[in-house]
Amino acid sequence: MHASFFATLLSVLRRGMGPWSALLLPWVLTLGACAKDPAPEQVSVRAEPGSLIFHPDTEPLPIEVVNHGKRPVPVQGFQITGNDWSSFSIVEPINGQMLVPGRPLRFSVRVDAETFRGGTLPSAVQGETRELGPDEFREGEAVLAFRVGEETHEVPLTFEDPSWVTATLLPGLLKVVLLVLGFIMPLASLLLWQERKQSAMMQDRVGPNMARISLGGLTIRLWGLLHIATDGLKMFFKEDFIPRRAHRAMYTLAPIMALVPALVVFAIVPFGDALCYERLLDVLAQADVDQCAAGRGGTPLQIAHIDVGLLFYFAIASLATWGATLAGWASYNKWAILGALRASAQMISYEVAIGLTIVGALLVYGTLEPHALVHAQLDSAWGILLQPVAFVLFFTAAIAETKRAPFDLPEGESEIVGYFIEYSGMRFGLFFLSEFIEIVFVSALVTTLFLGGWALPFEMFGASGFAAPWVAQLFFTLVGLIIGATGVAVWRASKHARFVGATMLGVGVLHVCVALFSLMTGWGSEVPHVVVVLVGMLTWGVKVFVLCWLQLLIRWTLPRFRYDQLMSLGWKGLLPLSLANIALTAIVIYALSAAGTIDPEPTDAEGEAAAAQLGATP
Amino acid sequence: MTITVKKVSLKRTASDQIYLPAILKGLVTTARHFFKNTLTKGMGDVDTIRYGEPDVNVEDYYPQRFRGVHRLMHRDDGSVRCVACMCCSTVCPARCIYIEAEDRGGDEEKAPKSFVIDELKCVVCGFCVEACPCDAIRMDTKAHMHPTETRADAVLGKLDLMKRGTQSVAHQGGVGADFRTAAPKADPRFEHDPR
Repeated sequence: MHASFFATLLSVLRRGMGPWSALLLPWVLTLGACAKDPAPEQVSVRAEPGSLIFHPDTEPLPIEVVNHGKRPVPVQGFQITGNDWSSFSIVEPINGQMLVPGRPLRFSVRVDAETFRGGTLPSAVQGETRELGPDEFREGEAVLAFRVGEETHEVPLTFEDPSWVTATLLPGLLKVVLLVLGFIMPLASLLLWQERKQSAMMQDRVGPNMARISLGGLTIRLWGLLHIATDGLKMFFKEDFIPRRAHRAMYTLAPIMALVPALVVFAIVPFGDALCYERLLDVLAQADVDQCAAGRGGTPLQIAHIDVGLLFYFAIASLATWGATLAGWASYNKWAILGALRASAQMISYEVAIGLTIVGALLVYGTLEPHALVHAQLDSAWGILLQPVAFVLFFTAAIAETKRAPFDLPEGESEIVGYFIEYSGMRFGLFFLSEFIEIVFVSALVTTLFLGGWALPFEMFGASGFAAPWVAQLFFTLVGLIIGATGVAVWRASKHARFVGATMLGVGVLHVCVALFSLMTGWGSEVPHVVVVLVGMLTWGVKVFVLCWLQLLIRWTLPRFRYDQLMSLGWKGLLPLSLANIALTAIVIYALSAAGTIDPEPTDAEGEAAAAQLGATP
Repeated sequence: MTITVKKVSLKRTASDQIYLPAILKGLVTTARHFFKNTLTKGMGDVDTIRYGEPDVNVEDYYPQRFRGVHRLMHRDDGSVRCVACMCCSTVCPARCIYIEAEDRGGDEEKAPKSFVIDELKCVVCGFCVEACPCDAIRMDTKAHMHPTETRADAVLGKLDLMKRGTQSVAHQGGVGADFRTAAPKADPRFEHDPR
């Protein structure tokens, strides 16, 4: 950081951000002056979750009363009131007990679903009633109230029986739109351009920069970002060529077979914790979010919540290689079929390594479900810390699965051109696009398995906000400085980049302003749910994007393998190493659980009962 | 003086065999280039001349002694400076200059009646400029010969050549201001010398 950096900073502020930065500071000062001084609260009792939502098949729901304050208080006077008070009952009541900070009191609430079955309901038409069938449930609500000292706390209890459309279809569509149309497809298209531009920047070239739109004298070039559109147009208007002796059906099917699995596997990737529809502006506890993740009052931010999520990934991801194999076989071209053979051989070699490396993570976290896997990482430590070897092996094998350099033997553009040699136009475009979608997917999977998914590091950001206000201040200051400094550097880099640079500096200044705001008001540990969700998705997106960048960096740095080297790396390198990783992990886990340092594997109730019986028998 | 032989071990060390240190070193190198070229002024190490881009005047990048299409300079009264001494056509290795002299009238030197350069034959050596005793022929137009439809179009006559010319500030006989004192502007976006 030399003097000219600050000179540029000043010039950016003056010419690009001048009016904005002048507006921001008084805004922050006013906010800080208006906000009242945070009084040090002695008693702060919350029920977590703050509302209970029951479905007909719901087991008794656990609820905790947590004291976030400093001194112990008695909690008493538990009662359920409201229209349907008689249908709810408290299991294992805690009435009259002392609530010590850091030691929550736990009880459960049960619902008698039968009392809501059948009956009559007022219809949508005024004055008419509707008879409910024997399998239909009406909605019901009550309030669980308890007293802490003088204060009365209320927990709404709701009973509902959502239809398949509202419970499954609409959230599913929402998530598909959010993830696939809102993130994957834009990022994959961006990567088409980024691949060319980033390789140029790495090799001291200029790269694509000539595509531009002229709108009445205003020319938009954006460093050639519009090449995304021009590439797409080019592919659409090219000749759609099918070789004379090709198998037409298979030839047509192959690009679809390559693209569809690459998109479908995203179903298991969690891109955030959970979204609670009706409490977007409230400050929620982790228990509330968990309730939403279970589908009650919200939805997990994961398209399909499958218990065997990672097995689903293996099943579908292997299908993607069918696309390459079919393309090679159906093209009636010897180079294509060589590429197809290479693709399938490579898939077999590296799929094994991928599967075995994941086993190490499974041993540590004890689940196959990606959403639960991320939670397990947040409870202990990120996968990259507990399984560093598995991280390297998995990343290597996953890059090999995407069939890109240094593992681009199926393509082999210098020798056989590859399995899609006969394809042109948008058929080729689909292969091309699916390759980039696979890059995004590998990044998403590595994020989920090893990098803590949607979470910020060091447990700094939880379901209700930052761990403490000073964490928020530190975070916003650091992020603001990084973004701002990058913005200034971008401003300096090129005349065309000034708008982007000024915007980035503005965002950085905004971050610092938020940090100042937090410093003055003590804000930071209580953030509205919708902001928490957005920050989670943003964090996930940034992680995925950085990993995509890293993959492109690897692709343009390393030379290609020879085919026998590729095979020997897979079978003689990755496979034994991943087996050794499994063995070592298992031994360490066994030793630690035998020594009592960690809990043994969580067992279900039946298993516990069986274990108790076994223990009792001798 | 003894000759020392450095023995290089061809045995692969452990760090060679696990690839990772070398890979990381490579990634750091390429990442350094990426960030330098992305975030520093004038695109860092990128030396590409933006030829043909709309807002770039490519002449700014040409060296001072770049040899473009020929031109013939004017006198104060607008007549041609050339005195038809035949130095250029004599020195021309490609024999692409054809001059026919005429009387300028009065006590003055000769003038070219026709001055023809076949740009297709020209090898752009610049000898004609060096040979000229009176700063009449120059190749400092910084223009390339445009492609032509017929060969005849590439043969430039006296008027064509004079159209590109301007009044020379040099005194006849070689005394006066240096016509190359005005250096070409470099593109301000480039800190380093674009050449």
